[in-house]
Amino acid sequence: MAERYDAVIIGGGHNGLVSAAYLARAGMKTLVLESRHVLGGAAVTEEIVPGFRFSAFSYVVSLLRPEIIRELRLPQHGLDILPLDGTFTPLDGDYLWRVNDHGRTMRELRRWNPSDAEAYEEYGQLMVEMAKFIKPILGIVPPDPTGRDPREFLPLAGLARAFQQLPERQQAVFVQLMTMSASAFLDQWFETDPLKATMSASGIIGTYLGVKSPGTAYVLLHHYMGEIDGAFRAWGIPKGGTGGISLAIASAARSLGAEIRLEAPVARITTVGDRATGVVLESGEEIEAAAVLASTDVRRTFLQLLEPGTLDPDFEAEVKRFKFRGSSGKVNLAVDRLPDFLCLPGQGEHLRGAISFSPSIDYMERAYDDAKYGRFSQRPYIDMIIPTLVDPTMAPPGKHVISCFVQYAPYKLDPSLGTWDDQREAFGDAVIETIAERAPDIRDIIIGRQVHTPLDIERITGLTEGNIFQGELSLEQLFFSRPVPGYARFRTPIRDLWLCGSSTHPGGGIMGANGRLAAMELLRARGRKAA
Amino acid sequence: MTERNDAVVIGAGHNALVTAAYLGRAGLRTLVLERRERVGGAADTTELAPGMRVPTLAHTVGRLRPSIVRDLALKEHGLTLLAPEVRVFAPSPDGSAVTLWRDVAATAEGLRKRSSADADAYAGFDRQVRALGHFLADLGQETPPDILSPGIGDALAGLKLGRTYRGLGKVDARTLLRVLPMAVADYVAEAFETDALRAAIAWRGVRYAELGPWSGGSTAVLLTDGAGNDGGAAGETIYARGGPGALAEALAAAARAAGVEIRTGATVSRVGTDDGRATGVVLESGEVVDARAVVSGTDARRTLTELVDPVTVGPSMRWRAGNIRQPGVVAKVNLALRATPTFPAAGGDPRTLRGRIVVAPGIDAMERAFDAAKYGRPSDTPVVEATIPSLVDASLVTGGPEGGQVMSVIAQYAPVDLREGSWDDQRDAFGDAVMGVLESVAPGIGGLVEARQVLTPRDLEREYGLAGGHPLHAEPTLDSFFLWRPLFGHARYRLPVEGLYLCGSSAHPGGGITGGPGQNAAREVVADLRRRRG
Repeated sequence: MAERYDAVIIGGGHNGLVSAAYLARAGMKTLVLESRHVLGGAAVTEEIVPGFRFSAFSYVVSLLRPEIIRELRLPQHGLDILPLDGTFTPLDGDYLWRVNDHGRTMRELRRWNPSDAEAYEEYGQLMVEMAKFIKPILGIVPPDPTGRDPREFLPLAGLARAFQQLPERQQAVFVQLMTMSASAFLDQWFETDPLKATMSASGIIGTYLGVKSPGTAYVLLHHYMGEIDGAFRAWGIPKGGTGGISLAIASAARSLGAEIRLEAPVARITTVGDRATGVVLESGEEIEAAAVLASTDVRRTFLQLLEPGTLDPDFEAEVKRFKFRGSSGKVNLAVDRLPDFLCLPGQGEHLRGAISFSPSIDYMERAYDDAKYGRFSQRPYIDMIIPTLVDPTMAPPGKHVISCFVQYAPYKLDPSLGTWDDQREAFGDAVIETIAERAPDIRDIIIGRQVHTPLDIERITGLTEGNIFQGELSLEQLFFSRPVPGYARFRTPIRDLWLCGSSTHPGGGIMGANGRLAAMELLRARGRKAA
Repeated sequence: MTERNDAVVIGAGHNALVTAAYLGRAGLRTLVLERRERVGGAADTTELAPGMRVPTLAHTVGRLRPSIVRDLALKEHGLTLLAPEVRVFAPSPDGSAVTLWRDVAATAEGLRKRSSADADAYAGFDRQVRALGHFLADLGQETPPDILSPGIGDALAGLKLGRTYRGLGKVDARTLLRVLPMAVADYVAEAFETDALRAAIAWRGVRYAELGPWSGGSTAVLLTDGAGNDGGAAGETIYARGGPGALAEALAAAARAAGVEIRTGATVSRVGTDDGRATGVVLESGEVVDARAVVSGTDARRTLTELVDPVTVGPSMRWRAGNIRQPGVVAKVNLALRATPTFPAAGGDPRTLRGRIVVAPGIDAMERAFDAAKYGRPSDTPVVEATIPSLVDASLVTGGPEGGQVMSVIAQYAPVDLREGSWDDQRDAFGDAVMGVLESVAPGIGGLVEARQVLTPRDLEREYGLAGGHPLHAEPTLDSFFLWRPLFGHARYRLPVEGLYLCGSSAHPGGGITGGPGQNAAREVVADLRRRRG
C-alpha cells in the first residue's frame, strides 16, 4: 500500500528544500527525495581529505533571497553567513586590490587611474540604482508573452511604471545591461585593464560565453543585487560551507513538518493520462502525490524521469533545445599553509577575500577561445577563496582549504582530447600552473587535491552537462523563455507536475527564489494560503 | 543672405537622398549638401580600369524598400533592377559547394546530395525566416513609439505591432523572442547538420558586424537582413544596372524632380544652433545656410559629438553619443579581371557565379577569422562575399580586355583599429590575404587580375565619412535596436537638439541599402514642419 502525499519533491538541493519548507508551512503533507547521502545538491559540504571540509561545488553566496531567510527563520536554524572582504587581482609585479572600505578602494584605483576612480564611484551608484529597479523581477512569475490573460502581465506593469520613472540615462543603461557584452559595457567607464577584466568576470561565471559576448553585461547586475540585500555586503561564505545553507533550510523544512529522505533516488515520475500521480523510486517503492515538484533540471526531468512518449513532441523538441553547456570546473585544495603571492608577499588581508585570476580582458577572452573549440583553458579564469581564513572550523588548526572556481572547462571536449576522465588531472595541473605563476609555492603546500570536471559535476550532482545554473543564463533562456517559452510559470504540460529548480525563472545561483516562487504558484493554484 | 530653406540635409548618401526626395515631394524647400563630388555615399560605382566599372562599396541593392522604388518612381528615373536566379554560391576549397537559389524547392533538391535531412528541413526553415522577417519588416516601417509619454499615435502603433506579433501565431511568436538574442550558429544548427550550409546562411548574421557566428544576437542580424524583402533563408541578391552608383543617380534625379537642390563639394563644418535649437549649418567655406530643420545623413555619434557645439548637447548626452559603437570590421577589394575566373566547385554551370559568392568554409572557420579581429589583427583567412556583377550587367564592362569581368569583394574580418602598424602599411597584405582565399576556391584567379583596389576600414572612414569605417554607421546588434537606435529616448529621428534630425543608417531600422531610415525620417520631419507651420 503506497503512501500518499500532497506534494513530493524530487531532489534535496537548496531549491527543492525551499519549496518543501513553504509547502509544509502551508500545511501540505510534503516529502523530499534526495538520491545522495547528503542534502544540498550543488550546495554541499563534504570532507574529501580527512579533517578538511570543502564546499565541494558552489562556494560563495550573495543572492539568497532575504525574504526566504526571514520567512523560514534560517538564522535560528543555523544559517550564519560570514562576509568575504574584497577582491584581490594578482598581476606581474603589481596587483589590483578592492575592499569594502570605500576610501581604501578609491586610493587603490587612483593609484591606477584617477579618472577610473571617479568613474568607479559613479558606476557603483548607477549599478545599485539598476539593481534596485530590476530586483523585483526575481519575485515575478513570468507571463506567456503570447498569452491573453491580463492578470499574468500585471506584475510587469509595475515594473514598466518603475522604468518610466527612471531618469533617461538610467533607462538607457538598463537597456545596455540587457543587450551588451560585459566588456563593451565596462569600456564606457573604465580604462584600467585588470579592473575591467576582474569586474567582467562576474558576467561570465557559469556561462559558455566570453566577456566580449553580447548578453554577458546583464549578469554583472547580480553582484550588486546581493550587495543591496542588506543581510550582508557583497559575497559571503556560509559557516560550515555552502552545505550549511542547505542544512539550515532542511532543518526549517523539517520543523515545519516536511519529511526528507536521503539515498532515495527517483526512477520515474508516474503519470495517468496527462497528469502526474507520484513517483517510483529505484528501489521500486511507489509514492503517490497530488503534486510532483521536480527540482531537477528540465532535461533530466522531462527526458529521463518521464515515460518516453508522455510529452507532446513540440514541447519535447523545445526541451531538447534548452542549452546546458557546462563551462566550469572546481578544484579544491587542502594545504598545510597559506600561499605566498609574488606581487604581495605575506599572509595579509588580501588573502581573506576573493582572489581573482583575471589580469586582462584579452586573458579572459583567450580563456574563452580555448573553450569555443572544445579545449579547457590553458590559462583559465580562477576565482580563488580561502574559506578557512573566515571559518577556521573547515580545516585542522593552522591548515587551510582553498576553493578554486575555474572557467573555462567545456563539457564537450574536442574528440582528439578523449574524455574528461582522460583530461581530469591535466586540467587540475593547468589550474595549479596558473596559480603558480603568481604564487609559486602553491606546489609545495598542497596536501590534497580534488578536481571536479563538468562531467564529475554531472555525475555527482545530476546537473546536466555540469551546468551549475541548470541551464545557461543567456538572454534567450531567461524570464519568459526559461525553461521553455510559454512554460515559464513553473507548470508543465503534465498536470500536477511542477518545476522548482534553477532551470526555471529567475535562474541559478544559491538564491532560492525559484523554489519559493514555484511553491507559491502551486499554493495559489490549489487555493491555499501561503501561511 | 541665402534664401531660407525648410530643410537642409547633411550628406547625399542613399538615405539622405531618400529623405530629401520625400521632403521635396511634400513641397518643402530642401537643400542637400554633399562633401564629395559625387552623390550616393556607399552606393557608388568606380571605374577601376578603362571601361571597367565596379561597385565601390556595397555591391547589391536587394534590401531596397519596394515602396521607395514605387513612391519615387525610381524606374522612371533610370533604375533597373536585375535579379539572378541564384542567390548564393558557397564553394569550399575541397571542391564541394552549397548553392542557394531563388527557387526554394530547387535549393532543397541541390542540398539532398549532401544531406537529405537538410534538404527536408530547408523549406521549413525558409518559411520561419520569412515569417519572423515579416514581423521585423513591420517593425522597421514604424517610427519607434514614444513609450515614456505615449500619445494616441504611439498607442496605435503599439497595438498594431501587438497585433502583428500575435499574427505570427503562438509558435512563431515564442520562437521570435527565443531566437533574437541567440547566436546564429545555434540558430542554423537547430535546422541543419551540414557545416557548409550552416555557414553559408549564418554569414548574413555577422556581415558588417563585430560579431562571430557564436556571438549572441547574431540571429537578430540575420533575420533583419531578410526583413522587408524576398530574402528568406538565402537572402536577397539584386543588382542595380550600372552598379549601386546608378541607384544613387536615380534617387538624385527623383529628388531634383521633386524640386530638391543638391550641392556637391560642399562640406558642412557644423550645425548652427541658437538657444538650443538648430538653425541651419555652416560650411567649411564659412557660408551659412539657414533652415527650419537640419537633417543629418551622417552617423549620430559624429553628428552629436563633432557637428553640434558641446554646450548645446550637454555632457551626459555627449558621453552617451560618444559611446555609440562603430567598430568597422570590413574591407573592400575590387578587381578588374581579364576573364571569368574558374570555380571548380561550380561544375561548369555558368548560372552559379551570378549571385553572391560566399567563401565561409564553416562556422568555426568564420569564428576563427573573427577571433583575429578581437585582438586587433586582420584575419589571415577572411570571410569573403564576392560578386561578379558584369556577368549579370554587361553595361559595367565597355572596355578593357575581351571577355573581361569586374569582381567586387566584401572581406571580413578587418578591424579598423590595429594593435600593430597602420592600415596604410597593411592594405596590400590584406588584399593578398583576400586573393589567397579566392585562390583556394578559384585557382588561377590571381593571374587574371588587370587592376586591384583595396579599401581598408580607414579608407572607408576617410573617403566616405563612415566613422570607424563602419558601413552601417553603428553596430546592427541588439544593443542598438528599434527603441534604442541610435540612443534610447531618441529613436524617433529627432536628435536631442530641437530641429535636428537623423536620417542615416544609425537610425532605426539600421544600415544597408534599404532607404528605410531615410523614408521613416522624412515622415517625421514633414509632420513636425507642418505642425510648426500651422
